[in-house]
Amino acid sequence: MTHKQEKSSMLSQGVFIFVYLAVLTVLEFGIAITFNSTVLLVVIALVKAVLVVYYYMHIYKLNAEHEGDEDSYEYKSGTNRIGLWLFLVSDSFVFGGLMVMRINLLGLTHPHLDQTLGLIVTGVLLVSSFFMNRGETLMANGDRKGFITNTLITFVLGLGFLIGVVFVEWPNAIAEGITPGSGPAGAAFFMMTGMHAFHVLTGLIFLLVVLNNARRGLYDEKHYPVEAAAVYWHFVDVVWIFFYPALYLIGAIAK
Amino acid sequence: MIKKNTVGSGLLLLLIAGAVGYGIGFGLDALISGGTPKLAGAVPSAFALLFAVSAFFFGLYGYRGITRGLVWQVVGTLLGGLFVTGIRALMGMTGNKLFGAFFFSEPAWVFGALMGVISFLVGVGVMDDWIKWARGIDTPEHHEDKPGWEKYFGVSLDHKVIGIQYTVTALVLISVGGLFALIFRTELAQSGLQFLSADPTKFNVFNQTGPQFYNTLMSLHGMIMIVSILLGISGIINYVVPLLVGAHDMAFPRMNAFAFWVAVPAAVLLLMSMVLGGFDTGWTGYPPLSSRAPVGVQMFFWGVFTAGWSSILGALNVIATVLRMRAKGMTAMRMPIFVWAAIATSIIAMTATQLIGLSFQMVSFQRLFGMGFFDPAKGGNPVLFQHLFWFYSHPAVYVFVLPGLGVISELLPVFVRKPLFGYRWIAMSSLGIALVGFVVWAHHMFTSGMNEYLRVPFMYSTMLVAVPTGVKFFSWIATIWGGKISTPTPMLFVLGAIVVFLLGGVTGPPNAMVALDLHLHDTYWVVGHFHDTIFGGFVFPFFAAIYYWFPKATGRRMNEFWGKVHFWLMTPSFLMLTFGMMFIGLRGMRRRIADYDAALGFDNTHLILTICAFGIALSVLIFFINIIYSIKHGEKAEGNVWNSRSPEWQVRSPMPAHNYEVPFEVVGEPYDYGLADSKYVEFSATAGKKH
Repeated sequence: MTHKQEKSSMLSQGVFIFVYLAVLTVLEFGIAITFNSTVLLVVIALVKAVLVVYYYMHIYKLNAEHEGDEDSYEYKSGTNRIGLWLFLVSDSFVFGGLMVMRINLLGLTHPHLDQTLGLIVTGVLLVSSFFMNRGETLMANGDRKGFITNTLITFVLGLGFLIGVVFVEWPNAIAEGITPGSGPAGAAFFMMTGMHAFHVLTGLIFLLVVLNNARRGLYDEKHYPVEAAAVYWHFVDVVWIFFYPALYLIGAIAK
Repeated sequence: MIKKNTVGSGLLLLLIAGAVGYGIGFGLDALISGGTPKLAGAVPSAFALLFAVSAFFFGLYGYRGITRGLVWQVVGTLLGGLFVTGIRALMGMTGNKLFGAFFFSEPAWVFGALMGVISFLVGVGVMDDWIKWARGIDTPEHHEDKPGWEKYFGVSLDHKVIGIQYTVTALVLISVGGLFALIFRTELAQSGLQFLSADPTKFNVFNQTGPQFYNTLMSLHGMIMIVSILLGISGIINYVVPLLVGAHDMAFPRMNAFAFWVAVPAAVLLLMSMVLGGFDTGWTGYPPLSSRAPVGVQMFFWGVFTAGWSSILGALNVIATVLRMRAKGMTAMRMPIFVWAAIATSIIAMTATQLIGLSFQMVSFQRLFGMGFFDPAKGGNPVLFQHLFWFYSHPAVYVFVLPGLGVISELLPVFVRKPLFGYRWIAMSSLGIALVGFVVWAHHMFTSGMNEYLRVPFMYSTMLVAVPTGVKFFSWIATIWGGKISTPTPMLFVLGAIVVFLLGGVTGPPNAMVALDLHLHDTYWVVGHFHDTIFGGFVFPFFAAIYYWFPKATGRRMNEFWGKVHFWLMTPSFLMLTFGMMFIGLRGMRRRIADYDAALGFDNTHLILTICAFGIALSVLIFFINIIYSIKHGEKAEGNVWNSRSPEWQVRSPMPAHNYEVPFEVVGEPYDYGLADSKYVEFSATAGKKH
């Protein structure tokens, strides 16, 4: 395969995965508002997460061989990659703990939230993940300009998600009477979205750093920071893949 | 005027600044309380302490490194607190119902504490390189330290320096935690309240009466010891693991430094909790009690949270180092056995630690924002906290003991001159303990009112831990069997560890039995059992490791005679202490109480326990004097002191900055002691490039 074909096939793979994810999200929403099967919602979330972890986060790169000797950039990037993934494993225990809290306190109910807004912010984060993947792919193929454009779009969408959750959804919920102190539903909602929003914020800072350094022409074949920022951003998306059904879709509305 | 940085000038400044700080604090306290300042009040004491510690480091080291970090932490805390206080004032909120003497409200303290931690990290300079990277500036991969003692008080990227920083911090915290234990142990020597009086006119330290102060000391003894243990194992692992696997440093040297330095402000927060009204929950911090305790409990929560990051990032680094930086030929089954222990402990520390951070964070938020996670009145569930908490805090004891058991397995073959029996089994048993450790947490909660059908599975999973632990014991005995045993100080501590850990081990299963635990729960039996496991699994091996690797770090040996005095004073005192604890525990002595009824007839036992506690303290004091003396005046030992096969002993001590000048290749089994013509490592210039 020539270089150009490889690039275009990588880009079209990104598109396909995005379409799958979008269809699954719509399906998820449809199931929730019709017959609301918890099992199906969990299965769909798992499938979505696997798609993102494999195709967007490239978990298989952990298994790379032929990295040169210990002082080469490839070998050091491989070590950094392991470090990042170990951190993500550690971090997912936080979100796992929050999920346990939500299951224990709310069971098969969810807080009374604005479903349209929920679907919109979820969609925005999903689209941002698509552009992140596109930007990273372009960078890997030496197209720094394309990377900057796509990452800028990712950044704007991510900021949109953050604003949507913290400055629209939170006041909405408070107006509806769901406050941090109102009961288990409010406590779970604000703790989970708050912790996730904190991670989105750190991801945005990470993107800004990478964007700024790319603008100054820092990355070429040596672009591990770009990959790290992308993997972290997708991880934040994976967390939302589970938090969205947990907070918006599963079960009946909590009293 | 003081010109040279020395311990003497540090101590002089400590005294002066302590007095000045006390004066300022006393004046402030007089202003705040309207003319009735207390001699041992929170404000004067806090100011005296902060001034004194900062001035000590200033005299010792000048305004850089740790001094700058501490000053920035104080300033950051005050600015953070003022920021929130200002916002609250604008919103028309004033006052502080929980802690009247100090003008900061609880949210101001929490925000200030977090800002203080961040300020410390920036001030000490551990994030400098990362900030440069974020701005696109490249930094050299290795920074060279200047030779001498000064590198230990500032940021160094050398894993050996960081290992020693960890170890020394751990020893300092062990003394602090031990001092707390001595104070409340003295109170317990007799029934009735003697000097920790319940009468506020007789005893009032940091706004706490005697029994309240007892609770604070007892709680802090637990958590400060836990943090010191975490730092201690990090110290040994950091120093030893890169040497054992033949790496020039850890995989992420900057994160390694960060993991150490984040623990320092954490320790400061933990000690602040004592000044800010203390707390009476024990180290477990269960709500609902912890959601009503004084503001000190917030400092405790965030101190533990911060220390947790030290543990998580350190563990992550260890795993990456072992996965990526082993010497040529060092396959998984040819790694030194201690490395397996370090891996097993790191798996737990890296993952489960998040849960204690999360659970404490949630209680903190419950207090700050009224989020009712654990408040039944708001639909919350207090038992949920215990699940989240113990999901870390039980595996945590395996974090404490696995490196210690690794030290035993590592040192034993050296001193019996025989191969380690069942290498694979020991390696796998470490992983086994770590993995089984994840599914036993609810045995702490048999009396909590959780669902009864959960009790039996947790009882069986708990007893399952005895299997891999038993494997280790059989292997140790088989290793000792028929060996040429020599007993220098490290070996004495290894043997002591085996005996004490065995006692801790056999007193464990009774606690695991649901029927027995309902009786034993919250008695001194549990306290005795716990101290046996931790002394056997951590303290004895930790001392063994220090005596063993001290020549590697300094090029000098510790004094053998005083090492033996340390051992022979500590071991009987300790055994008597825990036997006594278990004895009165079985007969109904409750734990975590400041006083007990004389009619129970425990007075004599408690008096003996207190004497034993002082015996241990004296032995540790001897150890400290030995260590300080030996750094300069110990017998020179630059070669292979213990006649070990391990790679780090094949080169001269102390180790050069980037470890092995000539890389080595593994060509044989690690523990074939006594076998002719067998070699573990071979040094050659071509061994380095393995990929």
